Amino acid sequence: MTRVEVLACGAADRGDDGAALIAASLLIDELPADVQLRVVGQLDIDDLLELPPEASVVIVDAATGIRPGKVLSVSLDQVAGDQGGLRPRSSHALAFPEVLGLAGLIRGRPVEGRLVVIGGTDFTLGGPLSRPVAAAIPALVALVRTSVDAAWIARPSHVEV
Amino acid sequence: MHDTDTFTDSGGDLAVDIAGLTRVEGEGSLRLKVRAGVVEQAHLEIFEAPRYFERLVVGRTPDEVIDIVARICGICPVAYQMTAVHAFEHGLGITIDPAVRALRRLLYCGEWIESHALHVYLLHLPDFLGYASGLELAHDHRATVEAGLRLKKAGNQIVELIGGRAIHPVSVRVGGFSRSFRRSEIRALREPLTAALAIALETVDLVAGLDTPRFDRGGRLVALHHPAEYPMNEGRIVSTDGLDLAATDWRTEFSEQQVGWSNALQARDHAGRPYLLGPMARITLSGNQLHPTAAAAFAQTGLAAEIATNPYRSIVARAIELVHATAVALDIIEAYDPPADARQAWTPGPASAAWATEAPRGLIFHAYELDEQGLVTHAQIVPPTSQNQAAIEADLAAFAPSVLHLPRQEATLRIEQLIRSYDPCISCATHFLDLSVEHLR
Repeated sequence: MTRVEVLACGAADRGDDGAALIAASLLIDELPADVQLRVVGQLDIDDLLELPPEASVVIVDAATGIRPGKVLSVSLDQVAGDQGGLRPRSSHALAFPEVLGLAGLIRGRPVEGRLVVIGGTDFTLGGPLSRPVAAAIPALVALVRTSVDAAWIARPSHVEV
Repeated sequence: MHDTDTFTDSGGDLAVDIAGLTRVEGEGSLRLKVRAGVVEQAHLEIFEAPRYFERLVVGRTPDEVIDIVARICGICPVAYQMTAVHAFEHGLGITIDPAVRALRRLLYCGEWIESHALHVYLLHLPDFLGYASGLELAHDHRATVEAGLRLKKAGNQIVELIGGRAIHPVSVRVGGFSRSFRRSEIRALREPLTAALAIALETVDLVAGLDTPRFDRGGRLVALHHPAEYPMNEGRIVSTDGLDLAATDWRTEFSEQQVGWSNALQARDHAGRPYLLGPMARITLSGNQLHPTAAAAFAQTGLAAEIATNPYRSIVARAIELVHATAVALDIIEAYDPPADARQAWTPGPASAAWATEAPRGLIFHAYELDEQGLVTHAQIVPPTSQNQAAIEADLAAFAPSVLHLPRQEATLRIEQLIRSYDPCISCATHFLDLSVEHLR
């Protein structure tokens, strides 16, 4: 039975956007049998609706707005609760809290787990990882590992490396 | 990538404001300048840095280009792939198997379904029903939102099967596909699409009854027109004022220009006039070629005249196209006979390649030059939003005076609702929306 799913988001051919996929490739052989890894590219509601009812999730992704190479882990209930002034920022895409909220509503229970992000700086198509992101990949892998453990048991609200 | 994510990191405290982890790209705002109740300037300002895709494809083979252009947008990658592959095949004189043509239409139907379903149910419908988001809507109308998600999922399933994956498909190749598809694989789509068609028909009933602001925009509508079917991958470029061009000849009527307030190019006709693309244009110019099931639903709305002029009614046009795409997809599935070869053989070489197709949000045009080795030496990629941007600005200038007397929040909502009516592809051009109104004295 799957207890935890790791959803790796991003595109391998867009510079720092591939960071989560690289971390996933480094982790895949060491994850226990009841932890499933999926590469989802762009997180969609369906990805969360496909979670087994009792499973937790660790979503790994790159983001802008934090220092390049910095890695953060945030509990999903903290992210889902961040809905002040919630409105679609794009005309045809949903904000992350909205994806989480809709999935939770339709599942009939909140999506539990953690969001692990790494600050990126260069998302050029065909480009390599930027130096700070490449240097932080071991820290990202370690934080994903920690977050998988945390998704099983007690979830601290915030872990920072 | 998440260009709109903002994580504020001050000292040891962490504030999280995630506006765009769903991988949409670009930032923009609307700036209106109003003097004595008259809009003097309506600028859709686009801050996103140019993305240089046209430069990235130089030196690449046509098949590499097809994979690269799919990365331009996470919502409408098929539109970019279909336009590029048809351009190359036309330029190189390649004739594809009719079954391959049918599969490509099926793939495009999948993208139309997922894009329109997301927009209708989660992005536009909340505006009409007084909710700030799809999530708020779902709290009160869970069954409605679930139906919309099932519809979207049916589109995703098509793209995932035919395209090889749901996001940034990889199977399209010059001359056909990278692999063949068994009849049983295609038939497996029948069940979810049959359910989706019923939902699409209910969607038309739902949105046709919405209370809609009045706005008669007038103006030129442009879309492809095909002699035998509702436009998708082929046709001539036509307009409501009599334009009639080959799909290769977009540049004889239109051109892109740089404007000072936007990092995205704006397209206009050579006389400088804006024009509007998308479902409103398609239905107005080719409504009589809708699938019979969609045509019946369209007739039942009685909204043909309003759809041609009022952008707020584009939600109805999109719903009708949901019926059309779902019904066409089912027809293709029923008639599917695998092609003898998944991919037609072809020889690389020099060519001038150009084509236009119909993306969910309107006509998209590509042009490429290939050298003796068959490598791209020049590319032009014109997404629908770049073409619609000038029309959106003109419409905002015309519409805004009718709401500026309202409280700011309500005026902003009406204007945002109007902009969402065009379903602009922000990841192809920009993002939304911080409204700034400057009253001049």
